[in-house]
Amino acid sequence: MDYFLYLTQMCGIFMILAMGLNLINGLCGQFSLGHAGFWAVGAYTGAAFSVFTNLPLPGFIILLIACLLGFITAAIAGLIIGIPCLRLRGDYLAIATLGFGEIIRIIFMNMDSVGGPRGFTDIPKLSNLFWVYFFVVLSIIFCANLIRGGYGRAIISIREDEIAAESMGIQTFKYKTLAFCIGAGMAGLAGVLFAHTTQFISPNNFTFMWSVIILLMIILGGLGSISGAIIGAVILTLLPELLRLLGPTVSEWRMVIYSVLLILLMLAKPTGILGKKEITFSFGKKEKA
Amino acid sequence: MSQVLKTDAITMQFGGLTAVDSLSLEINQNDLIGIIGPNGAGKTTAFNMITGHYLPTKGNVFLNNEKINGVRPAVITQKGIARTFQNIRLFKDLTVLDNIRIAAHSRCEYGFFDSIFRTKKFKDYERKIEEEAISLLSIFKMQGYSDHLAKNLPYGMQRRLEIARAMATKPSLLLLDEPAAGMNPNETIELTKLIRWIRDEFKLAILLIEHDMRLVMEVCEKIYVLDYGKTIAVGTPSEIQNNPKVIEAYLGSEGVENE
Repeated sequence: MDYFLYLTQMCGIFMILAMGLNLINGLCGQFSLGHAGFWAVGAYTGAAFSVFTNLPLPGFIILLIACLLGFITAAIAGLIIGIPCLRLRGDYLAIATLGFGEIIRIIFMNMDSVGGPRGFTDIPKLSNLFWVYFFVVLSIIFCANLIRGGYGRAIISIREDEIAAESMGIQTFKYKTLAFCIGAGMAGLAGVLFAHTTQFISPNNFTFMWSVIILLMIILGGLGSISGAIIGAVILTLLPELLRLLGPTVSEWRMVIYSVLLILLMLAKPTGILGKKEITFSFGKKEKA
Repeated sequence: MSQVLKTDAITMQFGGLTAVDSLSLEINQNDLIGIIGPNGAGKTTAFNMITGHYLPTKGNVFLNNEKINGVRPAVITQKGIARTFQNIRLFKDLTVLDNIRIAAHSRCEYGFFDSIFRTKKFKDYERKIEEEAISLLSIFKMQGYSDHLAKNLPYGMQRRLEIARAMATKPSLLLLDEPAAGMNPNETIELTKLIRWIRDEFKLAILLIEHDMRLVMEVCEKIYVLDYGKTIAVGTPSEIQNNPKVIEAYLGSEGVENE
């Protein structure tokens, strides 16, 4: 059953990653392809903290501190990369963030103290199902509250029309940077959880391909929708594994089937499964997305 | 009457082309001023310089006696200049209410964490903003539409929403870039009344660009005429109508020369 537990945790980790990218790409409209880079920053920071400091504290407190540190360092990395990159638009921004994402990976590849290309081993297994989904719920509440307030609306207005937003008194650069930092921070948080789930991370875990897959998750679920990001994360995490279970012939062709399914889905529903809609549940008076 | 906007011979050059050549505007509170001119005369460029989208090559812009060239457009809006666009630029996929609320955000009093933790300050201020937005919508006769997506509104109403959104920034000067473009005659008559009413109700100055001469002549008290970037005439509507230079710019020079 460990395999299923692992998959469930990976679903949660990808949900946080997808929600973070959804904030940058789906809500703020800034095309970023460097998400895996921030994921790596969080993973390495969190792992380095729990491995090197060895504090005599209960595991979950170490994990919480690691998560906080991972969030902050990834957000700072987002700030450093965002300030030059967010002056660019569209394709240019995508290429610049792609480059920075790879730079981050190469830096870790060349840092011998964290294992370099051999990977970072012996990370304590501090994360479990509870903590992963604790942070998933926290992220959902965070994102939902953000988009239903003035700051979220300011971020969305940039996606809708940057020139009009600027003319309505929204300091677009400030809000783009804000969205970019929070999105990067969430990727960092997911990275900490990832490192403490798999107990082993290497620079090859954070290649450009993963930035693309996270992007696919939010496009598949519906750009700009939090529930869409979650659904997309679940589908794209489980689909390759499900195809693996369907016998040896399917298993051999699974990446092909996976791609064809994606193509068919995008042809049938180009705006993604949910479009911009949200699935909402009402708990008494309080609404949650 | 206090002066709202003054442009001091602003010039905009794109490479070798002088789009606007030493334009000097003076706008006081409660003024309703029009800029007209043939296509490509530099009217929208003038707007873009005033709102900070372009930095004038020469000359200065003063808003309430404060120099504002080089200031970012968002900050200029916060200082009191709001504008609409020639081709409507609404937040299409958002509701009418959200369009208005976004414009009110620059006056937001709560911090980022208030919005995440839903503090009382956040809730109180959100309620206030929503009430303001709804009353603004009812002023513009759109009270029943607050939940509609902006892109689903009829064209005339989209134009009106754009003006309402600009008003939500609480400007002291409103710039309207061809507000009547694409409107039918009835809508234009209504718009004429609306523009005058806004000026009287909110006690602000309005500067508008328009091709619809009936609207301009009826609503504006003073008109600037631009042609190839140069200001060729300034005056009241009746002075402008009889100005030979203006007639030349619009109808060509042959007729004038033969006289």
